[in-house]
Amino acid sequence: MEFGWSENERSYRNQLREFLAAELPGNWNEMSKDGPGSDAQAAFSQAFCGKLAARGWLTPHWPKEYGGHDAPAWQHAILSEEMWAHGEPRGPQYMNVNWLGPTLMRYGSDEQKRFHLARISRGDVLWCQGFSEPNAGSDLASLSTRAERVGDSYAVNGQKVWTSYCKNAEFCFLLVRTDKIETRHKGITVLLVPMNTPGIEVREIDTVLGDRYFHEVFFTDVRVPVSARLGAENDGWGIAMYALQYERIGLPRYARSARTLELIVADAKSNGRVIDGAFKEKLVAARAMCEAARILYYRVIDQRAHNQPPTADSNVARLALTAADRAVGDLALELGGPAALLYGSLGDGNFRAAMPAGVATGTSEINANLVAQRWLGLPREA
Amino acid sequence: MDFTLTETQQSIVDSAAKLLTKHAGPKRARQVLATSGYDPELASALREAGFLSLMKETGALEAAMVTEAISARAGLVHFGAAAMVAPALGMEIDEPVALSRQRGPVRYGASAKTLLILDGADVRVRRVDSGEARPMRSNFGFPFAELPADGGERLSGAGAKMRAWWRVVLAVEIAGALRGCLTFTTDYVKERRQFGRAIGSFQAIQHRLADCVVLTEASRWLAYEAAFQGAPDDGAEVAISYAAAAARRVFHEVHQMNGAIGFTREHDLHVWSMRLQALALEMGGA
Repeated sequence: MEFGWSENERSYRNQLREFLAAELPGNWNEMSKDGPGSDAQAAFSQAFCGKLAARGWLTPHWPKEYGGHDAPAWQHAILSEEMWAHGEPRGPQYMNVNWLGPTLMRYGSDEQKRFHLARISRGDVLWCQGFSEPNAGSDLASLSTRAERVGDSYAVNGQKVWTSYCKNAEFCFLLVRTDKIETRHKGITVLLVPMNTPGIEVREIDTVLGDRYFHEVFFTDVRVPVSARLGAENDGWGIAMYALQYERIGLPRYARSARTLELIVADAKSNGRVIDGAFKEKLVAARAMCEAARILYYRVIDQRAHNQPPTADSNVARLALTAADRAVGDLALELGGPAALLYGSLGDGNFRAAMPAGVATGTSEINANLVAQRWLGLPREA
Repeated sequence: MDFTLTETQQSIVDSAAKLLTKHAGPKRARQVLATSGYDPELASALREAGFLSLMKETGALEAAMVTEAISARAGLVHFGAAAMVAPALGMEIDEPVALSRQRGPVRYGASAKTLLILDGADVRVRRVDSGEARPMRSNFGFPFAELPADGGERLSGAGAKMRAWWRVVLAVEIAGALRGCLTFTTDYVKERRQFGRAIGSFQAIQHRLADCVVLTEASRWLAYEAAFQGAPDDGAEVAISYAAAAARRVFHEVHQMNGAIGFTREHDLHVWSMRLQALALEMGGA
């Protein structure tokens, strides 16, 4: 056990910071105020990710055969920290790298791997994730978007909701029901669906989180070739759970929160505001929660670095990430004062990014259930 | 970064566990707390096994691992003061060692031969003569005494270092006691049945216990990281701030889950829980 960074790791982080300083435009704060899913950021990500890819920094930890550089898992963690801390200039493409890639590598056919992984590692494709439905939130296994086999294709009918990034996405990682609803998690299949397929309709949902944040996606007789199925029919649940293990701690959310604290203190000081005893104590406490999330996140990265299978430590980390985001979210508003209420301010941007942390990619309650059952060995609530 | 124990670390952890199984544990803690509150047998077992020189010979992280293990087994010795704070100051001094802020009750004060006194920017090292300590009654899991804080040899400019290492030691001790509380309570809620089922099967218990896992795990890793990095001011502050907040939160959760039996001295919970409050308070929390 040791907690140091190697010379390589330190220099990699410095290079990333220099790269970001050079590549992010002067109005980046304004551009990124609506989050990774906004049109501005989605468009920016295409050029930016191409540049990252050219340097080998988009998918450094992937195997060479899939467009990576066999870099250690730690390198990906450093990359993720720097990107998320700086407003995620990869836009929605962080998702490709964090969980789509690993899931496709594990379950994809040779053809799917060849096609999709190449595009992801070049940085020229956007994806969205079709999991939640109006009646399948935390109880994801009750999802009812149907896919009926018709010859060489599936006919998909149903609706997804809370889908991010899909206005600009080219593909959807879609969970569908291919058996009776009573089969629950045993009757679910994954389809990799081109979003330009006829019969798909996307409607934006107006939210307080920012523009282009959530959408409803309607599927009416959407024909998807069987070759676009990921894994076997009715094997989708295990694939989705595998993806979620990566997604839950894909984002080092604490990195943005910790940076927000720094910026807000600097801001307060430049306005001649005194950070007195009570605020100082709150700052230390909030920063400590970011550090706690960081070290638990590192615990999970370490397991990946040792090629160990995912454990409930990722659920532990996710709970800490959410707690830190909320603590910093509240404090950034408090320290920012009334000006933090203005759209696009530091406090506002951070707060909106923090709001969905306990709901997205599985609620805190589901994470807590998994920690109770798998980490502590407690029985399921009947 | 590597969270896996090296062979050396594994053997240190294993031999500490073996020693603690024999010389510590909640039953022993209850016996010791009923008398002086200090366990000279455990102290000499740790000394004979060579653990006091871990920091110099192996590293601060390894000394922290043993400190955590002692706390998790409810050992009643001030190992962190003798094995981490004193060597960090470059001191070879007579143990037992206690740490003082000049005022207020001193943990393990009555058993100390040497007192390290934090005096602003300086540290004073003072011998404790027999009869100087006045034991004070406390319910908070440790023996306390009042000690004179005058005189002693002055180490100019060593105050910041002592403060930082003291914070790390406290964070590590809290992490161990949190683990003790968590393990004990998890076993309890698996066994205790109400409404025809284990109370640990209720989400009302599970979700709060899951939060306790987060607080316990993060406290331990942050404290270890701060020890590994040589107790930088920043890291030490973060470690104790987080651990102290975790201690206060987990205390109430585990007592709630243990119910009325948790307040009795025959139930083991108090040997870990009551010390949490003392540790969280020792440096004013942060």
